[in-house]
Amino acid sequence: MDEDVLTTLKILIIGESGVGKSSLLLRFTDDTFDPELAATIGVDFKVKTISVDGNKAKLAIWDTAGQERFRTLTPSYYRGAQGVILVYDVTRRDTFVKLDNWLNELETYCTRNDIVNMLVGNKIDKENREVDRNEGLKFARKHSMLFIEASAKTCDGVQCAFEELVEKIIQTPGLWESENQNKGMKLTHREEGQGGGACGGYCSVL
Amino acid sequence: MATQDRSSQKLPQAAKPAAEGEPHLPMGRELTEAHRFAYAALCGVSLAQLFPEPEQRPFCTEFVAGLVKWLDLSEAVLPTMTAFASGLGGEGADMFAQILLKDPILKDDPLMITQDLLSFSLKDGRYDARARVLVCHVTSLLRVPLEELDLLEETFLESLKESKEEESETAEASRKKKENRRKWKRYLLIGLATVGGGTVIGVTGGLAAPLVAAGAATIIGSAGAAALGSVAGIAVMTSLFGAAGAGLTGYKMKKRVGAIEEFTFLPLSEGRQLHITIAITGWLASGKYRTFSAPWAALARSREQYCLAWEAKYLMELGNALETILSGLANMVAQEALKYTVLSGIVAALTWPASLLSVANVIDNPWGVCLHRSAEVGKHLAHILLSRQQGRRPVTLIGFSLGARVIYFCLQEMEQEKDCQGIIEDVVLLGAPVEGEAKHWEPFRKVVSGRIINGYCRGDWLLSFVYRTSSVQLRVAGLQPVLLQDRRVENVDLTSVVSGHLDYAKQMDIILKAVGIRTKPSWDGKGLSLAPGSLPHEEPHQAAATSSDKTTNQDGQTQGPASRDTPKAAASPDPSQDQVPTGLDQSEGASLPAAASPAKSSHICSHGVGPNPLGCPNCTSETQEPCPGLD
Repeated sequence: MDEDVLTTLKILIIGESGVGKSSLLLRFTDDTFDPELAATIGVDFKVKTISVDGNKAKLAIWDTAGQERFRTLTPSYYRGAQGVILVYDVTRRDTFVKLDNWLNELETYCTRNDIVNMLVGNKIDKENREVDRNEGLKFARKHSMLFIEASAKTCDGVQCAFEELVEKIIQTPGLWESENQNKGMKLTHREEGQGGGACGGYCSVL
Repeated sequence: MATQDRSSQKLPQAAKPAAEGEPHLPMGRELTEAHRFAYAALCGVSLAQLFPEPEQRPFCTEFVAGLVKWLDLSEAVLPTMTAFASGLGGEGADMFAQILLKDPILKDDPLMITQDLLSFSLKDGRYDARARVLVCHVTSLLRVPLEELDLLEETFLESLKESKEEESETAEASRKKKENRRKWKRYLLIGLATVGGGTVIGVTGGLAAPLVAAGAATIIGSAGAAALGSVAGIAVMTSLFGAAGAGLTGYKMKKRVGAIEEFTFLPLSEGRQLHITIAITGWLASGKYRTFSAPWAALARSREQYCLAWEAKYLMELGNALETILSGLANMVAQEALKYTVLSGIVAALTWPASLLSVANVIDNPWGVCLHRSAEVGKHLAHILLSRQQGRRPVTLIGFSLGARVIYFCLQEMEQEKDCQGIIEDVVLLGAPVEGEAKHWEPFRKVVSGRIINGYCRGDWLLSFVYRTSSVQLRVAGLQPVLLQDRRVENVDLTSVVSGHLDYAKQMDIILKAVGIRTKPSWDGKGLSLAPGSLPHEEPHQAAATSSDKTTNQDGQTQGPASRDTPKAAASPDPSQDQVPTGLDQSEGASLPAAASPAKSSHICSHGVGPNPLGCPNCTSETQEPCPGLD
């Protein structure tokens, strides 16, 4: 199965605590919904293979914890990510306002600049909406992100969000091809390191 | 000089704080949840990097699951950690390490993680070699010097005493079973050997299980003999006849079989440690190197080191043969041979000089005998290690020449057993007369948790000579790198350090440094010169020559034997004086060579061998000390 997988993509889900990041992921990977889902500790990690335009892509999805106390961990996940899903809660304006902070962090820690971002307004099944769809759309446009509104509970837009993100990543060849190159580089680097180590010991002798 | 004192004093000190280790053990839980998460994740990702092989997967996941519980992390993180441990975490190890280093508690004392991880690894009363490799890895990621880890391990040693004893009892049943099998195998061999050559067999072996009581050595034979009549024994016997038949016919075909005549572990150091090192000597020469422990005087990898004494009779014969062939006529001819060897890398198309071939029988016979015996000894060693005579702690094996062959066969034997993992930490094979093709080394990845170091010498003409008729001569591990792609495998080209096969014994301290094994710090040159005894005119000069060689000889390894010959004339007057007493001391002081020798060397240097251009052999080795800087 791994043979016909085109590439492995690293996707990161970020956003304020309680906006439904884990629920979105759970809906996407397991197609379930748990209204009492506990807060994520550290990071959750799931793998799913999806097919977009006949291309199979393996997604390694990192679902980060939104809680402040785990915020120190978040920067470590950005490295090597090709796609980021930024989630806010349409019924909580504060989660929308804080998107700027998240974008800052994204810029600070991301290792590449052509990374594909997607903004997801979650919980559209709820009635007490505080953030209008147009506001979200405007924000997304301003920061050149993909945008979709979704509901993990009703399954609305979830599949679509991931698919669109992957499609966009695959359409940006430099992004995922460079992943393989990176892998190659990493390997050689490791070998060099080993050789260097041995050499170091060796030279000290002579 | 100080090393020896330090190591022996440290033990009683260390014992005290650990006496009630429990209270401070759950230190990991004092960290914030985020950092505990990072800590567990760091271990998970590191495990996946270190042990990507599928057969190691159960260990990794089990370890991580245990760690999650140990750290009081929520069950919810378990799937994530398992994913990390199975290699899905990607490249995050140093990231997590960075995060941990930023923690205010850890910033001042990153050792806490090491300590916590160590307590966790030891909590079941056993120390898996893989766990130790992980602890070392994490420790270095947190930029803690590994010496600190050694100290910590010592501190924990005492607190483990009780649990270890229990452990050994529970493991007894399985151990007996294996002993039985070995015993039976041996009896069968005796039978065969009596038919073939009338070899007398009396194996006494075993490594004192050090955590039980000092000095209470377990003799392998006794327990096995007691169980012979038992039902288990009979069952084992039946299965042996069924399954191992092919192996036995294999034995029968070789005339020189005979099981093992001598197999004992000699302590090289006084201390006790959570991991041990077993050094295996390749031959016994005359003079200084007549003891098994002599070449290992500088070795300081663990505080608890053993050296395997095996088949002294045959190794002595081999040593004599090696010296014979290296002296006199053969040496001159060998220079010629060496050129080919170095230039062509391997002696593929080399025609050996007739003069060398005429003395071939001197070496071929003892070599053949030892070749076979080393394999037997290796298998025996494997079963000793598998039965955990050494306790449940990691073992590092270091051997040169036929000693490396012992290791090779030990690994080969272990690899066939089910519970062979997590026993061996590192192995170091120097000038190994074994198959060097990668596919033969591949199974060792399963057995060895840490590093597999192959030290080879491209110009080792003796090794290529003894393999001249063999089909393996094109890929002997002692002559070339083992091309196995694995993080464990490290090939170290010792060509400029080792100028002949005999140097593996004489230059061991330098070789150990070259391959990255810790040596005793005060050990300046180990007096590699002071080869006394029956061949006073051979050895010291060789050593002096080779050591001076090294200071000058960067460009060509071809100079090795050439310069070995020339100083013979120059240096001849001095060595005979002090050598006999030295030799005696050396052989007696097997267990405390470090303490004895530096003092000795200064004594000898004071003899002031001025006029000699090479200096007194010992002074040469001392002046060698600054040389590292020159390069």
